[in-house]
Amino acid sequence: MKYFFNKNGPLISTYLIIAISFWLVFLIIIPQLYMFDLSFRPNIPPLLRGGPDDVYTLTHYKHFLFGSETSGESYNYVDVGVFKDTLLIAVLITLINLCFCYPIAFYIAKVASPNTARLLIVSLIIPFWINELLRSFALRILFAGEGFINNVLLKFGLIDTGINFIAMDVALYTGLNYAYILLMIFPLYNAMDTLDKNQLEAAEDLGSSMLKTHFRIVIPHAKAGIASGCTMVFMLTAGALATPVVLSSPNTFWFTQLIYQWFNMNDNWPRGAAYSVVLLSVSVVFVLLMMKIFKVKIGEIVR
Amino acid sequence: MKSQQALKILLGIYIFIFFAYLFGPLVIMSITAFNSAEFPSVTPWECFSLRWFNEGKIAYDGQHLAGLATDWRLHEGLITSLKIGLGVVLLAVPIGLSAALVLTQVHSRLRTAFYSLSIMPVLFPGVIIGISTVVLWDRIATMGGGGLATELGRNGVFLTILAQTCFISTYCFLIFVARLQRFDQTQEEAALDLGANQTQVFFKILIPYMMPAIASSCVIAFLASFENYNTTVFSILSDQTLTTVIASKVRLGISPAISSLALVIILITLTVTIIYEVLRRREDKKKKEIEAEALFAQTLDSRLKKAKPNGFKIPKSIFGILFFVVVCIFGFNKMVEKGMYGSTCIAATEKEKKSNFADQLKLLQKNAEIANQRSSESGDVGEKKEFDSIFGDPNLFKDFGGFDSKTPKED
Repeated sequence: MKYFFNKNGPLISTYLIIAISFWLVFLIIIPQLYMFDLSFRPNIPPLLRGGPDDVYTLTHYKHFLFGSETSGESYNYVDVGVFKDTLLIAVLITLINLCFCYPIAFYIAKVASPNTARLLIVSLIIPFWINELLRSFALRILFAGEGFINNVLLKFGLIDTGINFIAMDVALYTGLNYAYILLMIFPLYNAMDTLDKNQLEAAEDLGSSMLKTHFRIVIPHAKAGIASGCTMVFMLTAGALATPVVLSSPNTFWFTQLIYQWFNMNDNWPRGAAYSVVLLSVSVVFVLLMMKIFKVKIGEIVR
Repeated sequence: MKSQQALKILLGIYIFIFFAYLFGPLVIMSITAFNSAEFPSVTPWECFSLRWFNEGKIAYDGQHLAGLATDWRLHEGLITSLKIGLGVVLLAVPIGLSAALVLTQVHSRLRTAFYSLSIMPVLFPGVIIGISTVVLWDRIATMGGGGLATELGRNGVFLTILAQTCFISTYCFLIFVARLQRFDQTQEEAALDLGANQTQVFFKILIPYMMPAIASSCVIAFLASFENYNTTVFSILSDQTLTTVIASKVRLGISPAISSLALVIILITLTVTIIYEVLRRREDKKKKEIEAEALFAQTLDSRLKKAKPNGFKIPKSIFGILFFVVVCIFGFNKMVEKGMYGSTCIAATEKEKKSNFADQLKLLQKNAEIANQRSSESGDVGEKKEFDSIFGDPNLFKDFGGFDSKTPKED
């Protein structure tokens, strides 16, 4: 501590300590802990807080698993179902994104000339900086009942009546895929960029087939990038709110929309907090899983 | 060899499709901003118009659809967003910088823990950051008992700044860490040896060195704040930012005004990216020239000294831009020729639509009359008639049982 003060001088040391403790304690740790605490509290009006009714309870978690006590179902098939669907689809979208982006990342990193690569990267960045809502809106225009795709299909006589893409959730899944595809490309590209081209040439000279080269050389080299891309895409997809708001059909829910409902429409904050904790713990488990599978450190995932 | 050629072509096609997928929706959305129809579409093209950028329109059924320039909610949201963006930049950049500096100074074991904690917010779902901030501050506000804490805890802009700072600081942190890794610490030592104190070292050496990183983290922090929805929607409480306004608009029904807004944002992004890229290229070029000169100076053999290529080279991209402009002008001319631009065209389509609408109205009224005749024997004419003329078909609400439960059941 003394060393720290000596090194930075009194003024700068104070600034560093204040800024960091404000961030870590006040913005990161305390809010999360308080939300965790709140998720075990009953939903009572603010006046009763701290009173005899304000005891720790598991009601909200019970509600998530088994539904309200009056319903005869053995488990809360609505909420658990939404949760399961959300995770399943998030995993699927992550895998699809990985397959989509792998060739592109490889092309930019290793095949294209430096100038082309640069141009491609810049043009990848542009859609990335456009609001997620607006990108979803662009897809909404395409997929709407009287939207672009339906009109084109009708014009060419491929279909007789418009297809309701939004009710079929095609629009939602495409939107989620579209929204985070770039977060898969950049980590993959960064990882592949460091691969020595000579290794690829050596593999080719030694008679390895292209597929084998990829499995033996490129993928092992890029595993940190793959882990990072998959984690980011999964987390963002599972936690997405903007895209489902714009593109989901009225009877499909994304898990974040459930949380939103408990918070803003039903005014049951503790329950919303409990559902958030569920989502958060799944996210943490997923990150740990990725770290374990790909044997990477957490620092390699976030760059 | 032949199979490789085929593979290359396939890869090319794939990349083309990929970029079409990436840009196609955005391009189509941009085009719909110029269509005068009130549903954003390309194929039933009505008229080329700029109304969605200006005043919007009063639809033929009396509904007002605001355009970009007249939508006050959008303007208010924009101002709130700018305020929040500024606040986030002012908080997140110093925090990120301090965290990056401390990371270089802590011991290795603490280092991993500190690093993990610092990057955690990026891995949290955005909704959760928003929620946790709101619940905490709601508690603080209730405990504050009407003082400053209560005021702040109920202030959506303040909460949003805090919530966004939580994870945007991490972005800044990562940028600074990357820059600090290349920092030459001997500079600091030299300055200290020459008698500077630590504060001077910080302001005279470290800050100038970090300046490019500070600039880019300011830009990134602002953009990230500006486009954030997931966190903001919770923490903004009763206020509105640009993104929440857009979201509520989209949920209510989609209008080409949003397309025009998107186009404006796309153009701004495009300009910023191009400027940034040009600056970077120029810097690279300079660096290369300096390196080359240093190399030339070392080379004694004059044969290896190449003459500098003189003369002005026209960048190829200009041809692309020229081509685009020509196509635009040509297309616009064609549209004017066909009478698809201007007030006459809009008037014509409006008229047609109005007549369509009138036809439909007539049909509805006719239906209503028939229905009235049928139910007139029940003698009940007061308010029911009004409902009939609105809904046309009285059977529509037969089983509704709401306001016209007085209707005699027909069976």
